[in-house]
Amino acid sequence: MASTILRSRPANGHAAFIPQIRKLVFECCDRWPSSENTRTYLFTNLPKLAANNPHVEIVVRQRIHREPIIRGFYVNNRDKVIPLNGLSLPEITQKISLLLDASGAKIKPLKRKNVVSTTEAARGFWSGLHADRPVL
Amino acid sequence: MLGRIARAVPALCRSIHTQPTSTTAALDLIRSQPSHYVVANFVGRKYILTPRDLLTVPRLRDVKVGDVLTLDEIHELGSREYTLRGNPTISPARVRVQATVVEHTKGKMESIFKKKRRKGYQKTITHKQPYTRLRIGEIELPTETLS
Repeated sequence: MASTILRSRPANGHAAFIPQIRKLVFECCDRWPSSENTRTYLFTNLPKLAANNPHVEIVVRQRIHREPIIRGFYVNNRDKVIPLNGLSLPEITQKISLLLDASGAKIKPLKRKNVVSTTEAARGFWSGLHADRPVL
Repeated sequence: MLGRIARAVPALCRSIHTQPTSTTAALDLIRSQPSHYVVANFVGRKYILTPRDLLTVPRLRDVKVGDVLTLDEIHELGSREYTLRGNPTISPARVRVQATVVEHTKGKMESIFKKKRRKGYQKTITHKQPYTRLRIGEIELPTETLS
């Protein structure tokens, strides 16, 4: 008679894994020297990056007279923006892999959160109402 | 008096389990129960894991997002009423647990402040600790195929 609540708790990676990043947008200026390294990266490494990550939509936009930027859009409708101003080519590669490896979740303290579980305990839990009455 | 005996009898019945004589029989008992847990060693530390858990460990550098890892050091497998403890581990042919790498993240920004008083020395170090998060898959107890 009581209605059972049908609920599904998200568990990406349990049965099937869906990559959380969906789009990567490079924004840089055509002329200013602050975008020089970004432009070099785009001309040399972009096709390989796109081929190695077929699940990601890669977009290049113009952002004239501003510092170069990379934006990652995620499946949970959040985005991460990283400026590429003053970074060398290996550092740009590092920032791109930071975006590709992340899920869109907000950065939160993870030091003490070793195992986060939504599964009910397999051994059950003690209940005072179902235990023997203590005898003094 | 009778009430106390009546309450004691179910306790006695619960403790009279037929002790399984072989690992296969023990696994059959465990398999008959709906939910299981596993005590596994991962990157040098032991965790109690159930399916659909999210395990956070320090960054694993040789692993990519989406990779599937098999836990090969399982010390204990249990269910509500039965536990199988390995010596020291249970053979991977008996229990199979896989974990999928979900993401490589960093934790919150931590700042460490160092100071030596009256010496004009103080500095603040900020860092974000990198982590890898894995999702635990189903605990599989394969039935032995007769050769």
